[in-house]
Amino acid sequence: MISRRGFLAASGGALWLAGCERIAHFGAPAPEAVVFSAPGDASADLVQHVLARCSFGICPGDRAALLALGATQESAAQAWFEQQLEPQKLDDELCERALRRCDTLDAPLGELYEYKPQVLLSELTAAALLRATYSKRQLHEVLVEFWSDHFNIDSSKAECAWLKTGDDREVIRKHALGRFEELLVASAFSPAMLWYLDGRANVKRTSDERPNENYARELLELHTLGVHGGYTQQDVMEAARCLSGWSVRDRHGLRKARVEFHADEHDDGRKCVLGVEIPAGGGERDARILLETVARHPATATHLATKLCRRFLADEPPAQAIEAVAAAFRASAGEIKATLRALFASPEFAQSRGTKLKRPFHYAVSMLRATQAQTDGGPALASYLARMGHAPFQYPTPDGYPQEASAWQGALFWRWKLALALAGGHIEGTRIDGARLLGEVGGPAGLLAHLLGRAPQARERELFLQNGEARLGLLLAAPEFQRC
Amino acid sequence: MLDSQPDDARTLVAIFLRGAADGLALVPPVGDDDYHRARPRIAIAAREGLKLDGFFALNPQLAELLPLFQEGQLSIVHACGSDDDTRSHFEAQDLMEHGGTSVAGGWIGRWLRCTGGNGALSALSFGAQLPESLRGAPSATALQSLDELRPGEDTPQLRAELAELYRGDTLLGASALAALSAAERIGALAAAPYVPEHGASYATSTDGELARDFGGGLARIAQLVKADLGVRAATLDLDGWDSHFVQETTITPRLRALALGLSAFARDLGPRLSTTSIVVMTEFGRRVGENGSLGTDHGRGGVFFVLGGGTSGGMHCRWPGLGTGSLIGPGDLDVVHDYRDALAGVLARHGAAQELPRIFPGRKLAPLPV
Repeated sequence: MISRRGFLAASGGALWLAGCERIAHFGAPAPEAVVFSAPGDASADLVQHVLARCSFGICPGDRAALLALGATQESAAQAWFEQQLEPQKLDDELCERALRRCDTLDAPLGELYEYKPQVLLSELTAAALLRATYSKRQLHEVLVEFWSDHFNIDSSKAECAWLKTGDDREVIRKHALGRFEELLVASAFSPAMLWYLDGRANVKRTSDERPNENYARELLELHTLGVHGGYTQQDVMEAARCLSGWSVRDRHGLRKARVEFHADEHDDGRKCVLGVEIPAGGGERDARILLETVARHPATATHLATKLCRRFLADEPPAQAIEAVAAAFRASAGEIKATLRALFASPEFAQSRGTKLKRPFHYAVSMLRATQAQTDGGPALASYLARMGHAPFQYPTPDGYPQEASAWQGALFWRWKLALALAGGHIEGTRIDGARLLGEVGGPAGLLAHLLGRAPQARERELFLQNGEARLGLLLAAPEFQRC
Repeated sequence: MLDSQPDDARTLVAIFLRGAADGLALVPPVGDDDYHRARPRIAIAAREGLKLDGFFALNPQLAELLPLFQEGQLSIVHACGSDDDTRSHFEAQDLMEHGGTSVAGGWIGRWLRCTGGNGALSALSFGAQLPESLRGAPSATALQSLDELRPGEDTPQLRAELAELYRGDTLLGASALAALSAAERIGALAAAPYVPEHGASYATSTDGELARDFGGGLARIAQLVKADLGVRAATLDLDGWDSHFVQETTITPRLRALALGLSAFARDLGPRLSTTSIVVMTEFGRRVGENGSLGTDHGRGGVFFVLGGGTSGGMHCRWPGLGTGSLIGPGDLDVVHDYRDALAGVLARHGAAQELPRIFPGRKLAPLPV
């Protein structure tokens, strides 16, 4: 059995028990009993790859559960994807129980203003951590993170402090596996987005007043066509004209957060965006036509395919894969599920094993999942995300957290500190039951295979197993565990 | 312990004002009538600006920088920017940090690689993530405070084991070894509280969080510079200049942070200011005409500052004018001085005079005498 000393061999700390005592009142879910299957190949096999890349990390029972879905690794992985693409059919009781303490998540938009912004942000952050850690709907959660970056909103800007909770629920989570055009429209008229990119200030009341271009530009550059998608400065200005007059009521009056169209603030002249003529007098229809035009523009398919491939294949995704994924997006009129099916079916996906660096959030959650940690997703854990530069809902600029490894390599030091703190039980509100974990994975050797994702080499056995005990902190800090 | 290159004593500090700082608010051309016409509600009046020459003034919120300008320690480059005309923050920042189109790595990264700056602390970024400008550097470490690099609970044995695990890793090896080495070297430094010198004092919470944090970053850099740890480049950001909406409210705390931070840093460095260059840059300036929400939209020409490091001081600008015929695109200040010419003028004093064509490939440089 693993001993307390075994954990401490790597951490040097003496507070391993402390975390256990503090956890009780959070009601964090106890792990379910699982069947464990150890990865036995010399390098990561397909099952390991699929779980590492398309979820937030591999729990002790995940591998066996996936393998039970098919006769071969390929068919089982295929069945897993299909299951994950229908998240509402997966029972998620454990996760829902963990979220119960986050009262603000379900508050109607107008009522969000009754809370302090810090409370909303800490609950939203906790919810992101808890869902990523405990949800059975892992692919859905991964896509939620993806779209949260794509339609990034920094909760520190103006009333986004209250409204991001609504955006997360009504825009990102609701449409994460739906149709892109619906997601885009929901985002365009999201109160938080109208604040974040100044859409609410885009008004044209007099002939010499100039519309505010902020949202229109990011709509084309980041949300749809992409910066090299073939639009011009003129298109940006015309798009801003289409969107003028859409606003949101602020927190100082009645009907807070209500999105409204003000005809007297709309530029109702004739417009031409991306070659599409929009006749004068369209009023609020202009915005709909604009959003439909950009959502269906061929460059949008390529832009989104590139970003999805960057998330699921490689930092520099191969052109052939991008084209296949973009084609599926176009053919399905922007169905995210169909687009993902094409991505997972591409030969490049299966070939891209272990090549991506986990971003800090993914890294942190994958440790929690791998060790069956019980966590409240509270501030002690969240502070590590901030130190690693990856605090959810706090990226200041609209491009969202970067995907590429190069952006994250500089913060390794904090990853190690987190690994050691977690293994040593030094994170308040989070704990690992070492004895139970070792029981689930069949002892130190099983733990080694579980965390490396493959059969260990001789030197790794020497380094990670000492006196028959597994050095959890060092294993979690190791380069193998930084990758997915 | 230290690098042994002869120019090790010199440090370049690159400060990026992200979000496109309005050069016409930082250094208003108060002598230009077109400026006042274009901004009836938000222009700085001639009587409010701090006089630099007969034409340009300094924003009064930057008052602490005026003595540095008068002493010839501060150069100002106006109508400065890049050839990027997407007016996209990300494209323009990306281009500027890379130092050109279709080049690999960032301009600081290439500079350090060209000139052999590969000590563990040769390139530091004070912030959560590494900026693009450091991309391709032989080593680059992101940190938010020196404490983060203290050995803390870990031990020499653990560090040796991590080094063994990471050494051969093509993706992470270099970063890991740099982080381990940095941890060891800074541990000692972080153990004692830092006392600024020469009567300098950095901003505190009473000056606002922005000023406190920005000043804190500069104080850490000063500490490392003075400790001769081989820091050749340090980067620091001051974010949030995207003033589409009620510009004054947006930029005032940032102007204060900048003025308090740079003036304290210059004073604290004392004689070392002559071997430490500070470059303050932004991705582009803002539209000359104000918009309907007392703000300004994305423009082109902006302002760069160069402080210390042997700068020549003074205004560097061939003013293009703000008349209708002089503006570019939807009504923007023209880019008269390419940002690479400004950076090249500084890098030439940091052992890179012969390497400039490699640092900014594809550009026929005309280094500014900043």
